Amino acid sequence: MKINVLLEKMLSRAILSLFLIYTLFPMLWLVMASLKTNVELLGDPFRFPAPPQFGNYVNAFKSAHLALLFSNSVLISFSATALNALVASMAAYVLSRYKFRFGPVIFSTLITGILVPVSALMVPYFTLIRMLGLYDTKLALILTYTAVSLPLSVFIIKGFMDSIPGELEEAALLDGCDFYQKFFRVIVPISRTGIVTAATFQFLSSWNEFLYAMLLTSSEQVRTLQMGIRFFASQFTTDFTSMFAAIVISIIPSVAMYSLFQNQIISGLTQGSVKG
Amino acid sequence: MQRTTHFRTGAILFLLPALLLFAAFFLYPVGYVVVVSLLNWDGMSSPGFVGLRNYSALFHDEVFRISIRNNLIWAFAEAFIQVPLAIVVALLLARKPKGWKLLRTIYFFPHVISGIAITMMWGAIYNNERGLLNGFLRLIGLSEWEHNWLGGLGSAFPSVLVYGLLYIGYFMVIILADISSVSQSYYEAASIDGATRTQQDWHITLPLIKGTLATCVTLAMVNGLRQFEQVLLLTGGGPANSTSVLVLYLYKELQNFHYGTANALGTVLIVLGGLVILTVRRLFNAAKYDM
Repeated sequence: MKINVLLEKMLSRAILSLFLIYTLFPMLWLVMASLKTNVELLGDPFRFPAPPQFGNYVNAFKSAHLALLFSNSVLISFSATALNALVASMAAYVLSRYKFRFGPVIFSTLITGILVPVSALMVPYFTLIRMLGLYDTKLALILTYTAVSLPLSVFIIKGFMDSIPGELEEAALLDGCDFYQKFFRVIVPISRTGIVTAATFQFLSSWNEFLYAMLLTSSEQVRTLQMGIRFFASQFTTDFTSMFAAIVISIIPSVAMYSLFQNQIISGLTQGSVKG
Repeated sequence: MQRTTHFRTGAILFLLPALLLFAAFFLYPVGYVVVVSLLNWDGMSSPGFVGLRNYSALFHDEVFRISIRNNLIWAFAEAFIQVPLAIVVALLLARKPKGWKLLRTIYFFPHVISGIAITMMWGAIYNNERGLLNGFLRLIGLSEWEHNWLGGLGSAFPSVLVYGLLYIGYFMVIILADISSVSQSYYEAASIDGATRTQQDWHITLPLIKGTLATCVTLAMVNGLRQFEQVLLLTGGGPANSTSVLVLYLYKELQNFHYGTANALGTVLIVLGGLVILTVRRLFNAAKYDM
């Protein structure tokens, strides 16, 4: 019996360590490789770079136009996140706090969007954006990202709003709040956690989106970071280590976001998909 | 009375942006995909109605057959390899071993990084001369196993498919959250009866989280149908179309202005997605899994 428990513990530890190594090791290798010279890269993959070539990073930043890619991505992701959070909270407010005839139908129609494979809709998105005269603009991506995650955001935010007790609202009504004041002064502040959760998700998915960035934009002026990474291979045809440095730099904002909003991400994932 | 009209204007005003966006980016596109899939159209000249001919052409098309086979392999591999691994890890972390929170954070980490960056990293790992994989094989004296992983006809698709399957963090987090919500009283009763942890996991935990497992299998399979970035970046669908997938094929047909075929592919994707959702739901018979 005791041996069994010990064996179980060892097996458990072994499995957890294997996944830990699998997750971390390739990334550490990438960071290490990004600090090597191109000659060192051909040798032993596990040898530490001596001395570390921080010049690769400077090189990467310049030749990949990372500053431009970054500012495009920041602008697009933040705008899409703000717009998405606003539109979704407004809709969730009406659907959650008021009972009216078409409410439930509207809500269930909206959230079927969560499971639609939006990559199947490439052609209509392409024609729609052209029709609106938005092809190759940042607005095209802002609008698309706002719309594509709307079902998930409404679902998450409405879930939070549903748990607000009715008495709070009655108090607000007695204080003379109208429909709009109640939204901005009572409901939004209380459902902050839900809105932040939805927004964090929205930010990460906009920041990391690739397919529609490729489809709806073409010039370098509006190119996002993810699109930029795709061109690394042709920009750094022989300078592999600088390309690795560029990849490492591109990951940093996601890492920063993750360490700041880890709890929102994990609770949002649970909220957003356990029922979706 | 005054309050009702006031509410009505406000409600319409507040719902309108969401409904407009939903109509423009979900309702209209789905209708468009289905209708245009019945046309012979290059997006510019006047379209001709061809009925189901785009579909019958697809079913005789070699690239389509390879793509759909690859997507199905991908969907089943995610459902039957990735999800079960995630379940095992979630069950182990649910016992709260030392550092379980940190492990949870690290396992989830690959899912916050862009797929593009991860894919580029694996492209570097698989690289013929400079890659980590061949370098590692050389180092441990197995240089005869060195291989052009992404270039070989037999190894390209497995190489593109396998690495992502072992990132189990996404499903693990969902499953772990549901396990934590199971009431402790179930386990207390079981351990009084002398059931081991593994027995408890098997007979108590798994049946109780059935609904979440159904969700994970659904998400995993739909995910397998959507795969695209990895293939585009690592192999572009080659060699000899052996790694092609439906979304990549759709993208290529769009670039060739074959709007009819591209949308027939889109319809196939939507229908497959719907079938997956309905089938998994029925199989798990999850009554509480209502949306």
